[in-house]
Amino acid sequence: MEKHFLSSIMESHGEASFRAEPWYNADGDCIMYQNADEAVVADRADELLTIYRSALDDRPIGFQIKGVAAIIRKFGLDGLMIRSTTELQEVRHVSITAILLAAYEDGPRTISRRQAYATAIEYPLAGGIATSELQLS
Amino acid sequence: MAADYLCKTRDPQNPDDGLVDAIFPADLTLRYYKFSPVRYLNLIAAKHVLENVERIFFGVREFNEGGWCYTARPAQWHVRENACVPFPKSLVFAVYLNPRLRVYECRAEQVAEDDSMCPVNWRERYRGLIWKSTS
Repeated sequence: MEKHFLSSIMESHGEASFRAEPWYNADGDCIMYQNADEAVVADRADELLTIYRSALDDRPIGFQIKGVAAIIRKFGLDGLMIRSTTELQEVRHVSITAILLAAYEDGPRTISRRQAYATAIEYPLAGGIATSELQLS
Repeated sequence: MAADYLCKTRDPQNPDDGLVDAIFPADLTLRYYKFSPVRYLNLIAAKHVLENVERIFFGVREFNEGGWCYTARPAQWHVRENACVPFPKSLVFAVYLNPRLRVYECRAEQVAEDDSMCPVNWRERYRGLIWKSTS
């Protein structure tokens, strides 16, 4: 395999270590989550949800939920938000489970969709996404 | 400090003649480098796709206008950090760009029955196929 084209840029950023945590991808307005460091094959459930399947054995290893800003606009931030308080300030997070449920409500009630959304919701997503990370206009 | 990486690719507005810079955003590449080593390694496959694109689709999002999907088949990819294998014929590698040509997703897709360089269900998923290679 060839040398990575970004290796000279990245070498100063220390060791890599896989981390299974959801994150908001602003350029794609999507939330991405993967619980295994393996190549993924997309298994598209509908316009909004794609399940990531392992290229090794086809098991589900994560998901991408798209159109996050539109979901929040449609359903309202208050209905999707979790508030928690630290010693210093109130921290506001958008619940990923609530976003998944809102996305599910938005489409036809088919068995394949239900199975895909159930797969995504079963991942440990309790922390949510900090509202400060979202680009809501 | 990581910086955006620019990669020449076919201009989706003028794919027969023009080239543009697609952008691998620094926040994406750094996140992949630090937390998703296999995705980081498969940025090599994504760069190959942009530089050797076989199909370009437009209209990839329901809510966000625009956006592009570039597809091709790299010779190999990483299925694990230390496992670089030939890219299977049953898959095609897709690179998704937003309207500002910023890469936001790179992944394999099952191929369509009617075109081995198109993702499955491409006729329903995208608003159109705007360019295909003739080679």
